[in-house]
Amino acid sequence: MGNDKFVEVKNLKKVYNNGHEAIKDVSFSVKKGDLVCLLGPSGCGKTTILNILAGLLSPTSGDILFDGKSVVKTAPKDRHIGYVFQNYSLYPHMSVLQNVMFPLVVGKNKKPKAEAKKIAEKYMKLAQISDLADQRPHNLSGGQQQRVAIARALVGEPKILLMDEPLSNLDARLRLKIREEIRSLVKEVGITTLFVTHDQEEALSIGDKIILFNDGVIQQDDLGQNFYLKPNNYFVANFVGNPVIDNFKVKKDDGKIKAKDFEINVDDLDQDRFKREIPDGDYILSVRPENILPDENGGLPVHVDDIELIGRERILKFEHDGKQARSLVDLEAPIKVGDDIKLKMRLDRIFLFTPDGERVY
Amino acid sequence: MKRIRWGVVLGYIILVIFAIITVFPFIYMILGGLMSFQETTSIPPTIIPKHFEWGNYAKVFAQAPFARYFFNTFVTASITTIVSLFNSLLGAFAMVNLQFKGKRFIQIILLSLLMVPGEVIIFTNYNTIARMGLLNTYIGLVLPFLTSIFYMYYLQSYFGSISSTIYKAAMIDGASDWEYIWKILVPMSKGGLFTVGLLSFISGWNSFLWPLLVTNEDSMRLLNNGLSAFASDAGSETQLQLAAATLTVLPILILYLIFRKQIIRGVVRNDLKG
Amino acid sequence: MKTNQKKAWLFLAPTIIFVTFFSIYPILRAFVMSFQSGSLINLSWSGLSNYQYLFKDPEFWLAIKNTALYALISVPIGLAISILLAWIIFSKVKHKSFFETTFFMPYVTSTIAIGIVFRYIFNGDYGLLNFVLRCLHLPAPIWIDDPSMSLTTIIIFGIWTSLAFNIVILMGALRNIDPNFYTVADMYGASGAEKFWRITMPELIPTLAFLLTMNIIGAFKVYTSVYALFNGQAGVGNSGTTAVFYIYNKFQIVGTPGVAMAATVVLFLIILFITFLQRKMMKKIGEN
Repeated sequence: MGNDKFVEVKNLKKVYNNGHEAIKDVSFSVKKGDLVCLLGPSGCGKTTILNILAGLLSPTSGDILFDGKSVVKTAPKDRHIGYVFQNYSLYPHMSVLQNVMFPLVVGKNKKPKAEAKKIAEKYMKLAQISDLADQRPHNLSGGQQQRVAIARALVGEPKILLMDEPLSNLDARLRLKIREEIRSLVKEVGITTLFVTHDQEEALSIGDKIILFNDGVIQQDDLGQNFYLKPNNYFVANFVGNPVIDNFKVKKDDGKIKAKDFEINVDDLDQDRFKREIPDGDYILSVRPENILPDENGGLPVHVDDIELIGRERILKFEHDGKQARSLVDLEAPIKVGDDIKLKMRLDRIFLFTPDGERVY
Repeated sequence: MKRIRWGVVLGYIILVIFAIITVFPFIYMILGGLMSFQETTSIPPTIIPKHFEWGNYAKVFAQAPFARYFFNTFVTASITTIVSLFNSLLGAFAMVNLQFKGKRFIQIILLSLLMVPGEVIIFTNYNTIARMGLLNTYIGLVLPFLTSIFYMYYLQSYFGSISSTIYKAAMIDGASDWEYIWKILVPMSKGGLFTVGLLSFISGWNSFLWPLLVTNEDSMRLLNNGLSAFASDAGSETQLQLAAATLTVLPILILYLIFRKQIIRGVVRNDLKG
Repeated sequence: MKTNQKKAWLFLAPTIIFVTFFSIYPILRAFVMSFQSGSLINLSWSGLSNYQYLFKDPEFWLAIKNTALYALISVPIGLAISILLAWIIFSKVKHKSFFETTFFMPYVTSTIAIGIVFRYIFNGDYGLLNFVLRCLHLPAPIWIDDPSMSLTTIIIFGIWTSLAFNIVILMGALRNIDPNFYTVADMYGASGAEKFWRITMPELIPTLAFLLTMNIIGAFKVYTSVYALFNGQAGVGNSGTTAVFYIYNKFQIVGTPGVAMAATVVLFLIILFITFLQRKMMKKIGEN
């Protein structure tokens, strides 16, 4: 109860009428005032969870507590939530002011017009849309519509703000700007926020913590940096990070970890990082491209097939054991396509996964 | 180049011929209603009367209670339109925005009924109305038409094109369903509702077989029944028949010319979905 | 959102009540009555006798024959003219909406009123049509008062009435054809006729199938236009009687509602069969 578990989701399950299991036994909690990102590929169930939290869908089983009280049977309007939709869902026939005022002038707790207007104007100022009061939504840019949607979501002074991919309809540059604005706005208001996104970079930059979903299950519920440093499993390691992580098929045998063109002594590894004793057999060795770099003493000889420029860095692409892998090098490194070079990986930054995805190192 | 222009000319000729065939009866009706009796039967036929016999209209009103027919028609067409629009609005809202058991079943029933021609049920409906003692009443005239599966279906497709998150947003904003309907759904679908209203009013105005069945008192007749009775009674006085026909058609024709875009768009949208 | 359940039925209640009483009940009732005889207030079971009567009644067969002939002649001609006019409006002329507005006029106006005008124009002695025909030295038949001409007159009026709806729907379909198809055809130097037969017609087939069905169903229900043309009669000596005329006559005038309902059931089955054929046809088109 209380501030640490302001929002608590317990053993949530959702099976649609067509039999599709969208959410399989999900539990998590959110601290009061935190901004938490629900991250995952499309179709992973993150929007379904948001809809259930809002009361727009009812769960098949499980419980949801807001501030210690179960809200599963509460109607959306009585849950004290604000919701920002992916397409904003502004009412097209109303002005900006009327849109923002709407939650105050309908339902049981209607406020007098003058008072409603005052409150609406306060939040419009906060969202920096005061000068748009008389405009219709279709006259606004995507960013402006976004702000109107946030002002409308906040005007009823909800305890929890739910945002469903609020930035995905904006162009790349605006997205960066608005996401900073959203973070500072919700922090200023001090509202507990759940933010759904499929964009890992967005999640990492905006969230106090991130919950990564796949296939209706939580893969990792953690601080942002831990998704890089301590991925729970093979899926997390591969989902987070750009360029994507390199994976090598390896065999543990005879005190060594052997790939097709390189091998590592198990003794050279940081023994404290082993999560458990591992038997001989097949594993997957993963390493991020920034941790596998050209080095004359490297143990992995490769042939550079292609080089891709990404801003200040370059990605060297090479093939190993029939699979493409990458190394992230400095812009000025003297390497050309067709070169044969040697690579060395930072052994304290590699991961080992069992074939079914469990991380053991 | 020459061949193409030739085609355009031929196209215009065909179009103009058919346009004349289409419009001429209307013009001839209006002109004929202003002719003298001799002019209507002269050979060669008169097209434009020497002077307009406005007195024909006075005679029409004197010989049959056309003012009463107008009133009856206006009242029944308006009531049917307003009530059936209201009922269709509520029904379509429920079918589009609410989740409930039996929705598919209701939808299947309604879609099947859409295929039943009105002529199949009109006689048994007459029987029902007669047994309720509602012959020659306004209620009897409108009762079976106070809901329209057709217009409900139309509105369903109209409401379905509004993003479903708008309804969700309204729910979270604390609006009741009733508030959603009147503050959001109706203002957002004004165009569609207006078109449906127009089409419903026009078909109410032109209704013939049903009022023919359920009314036999002159004072309860609608325009088209009054007109056809008048045409029999007026016998060979063609100019009076044409004047009366003009009276019947003109209000709708004016309505049509004002709102032609909405009406045509509505009909096209309506029927392509079959 | 379990609370939706009750609310939904509340919103649907008016519709469900009216539909039950004035759509579902009358269908069942018509079906039941077709097996009963006597007057409306005094019905008794009589098995299949109404149907037996029906199939022996030459007037019924005349009505079916007239209705079928009317459908088979007026629908294809009306549709062909509509395609021609819609295509010309769409591809050749500038004032599209003016012509569209003009051709749609008959759809919104009262059939009874226009029927009176046509009766006048068709008049054998002083009617405008025969005057024109005589001027052109063509035979001038007695359109209204000759029993053998009744059906022809009804068909001409039917075609005139049907153009409005067809043209407007076809125009809608023509506007929906992707203009890039024509741009590509122009690039390959296709002629106007080739574009019409290779692009326009195939694209119009679903719409044509729909219109064909709607028109045929409409034709099987023809009533008001006959009533209007012949001043409340079905032509001289009932020569132009139709299915609905027959039903009305048996129900209201002769007072044998059982026979009327048996005829209604037959008409209903015919219409159902046409609808069924359309579904099949559309499915086949969809597959291709």
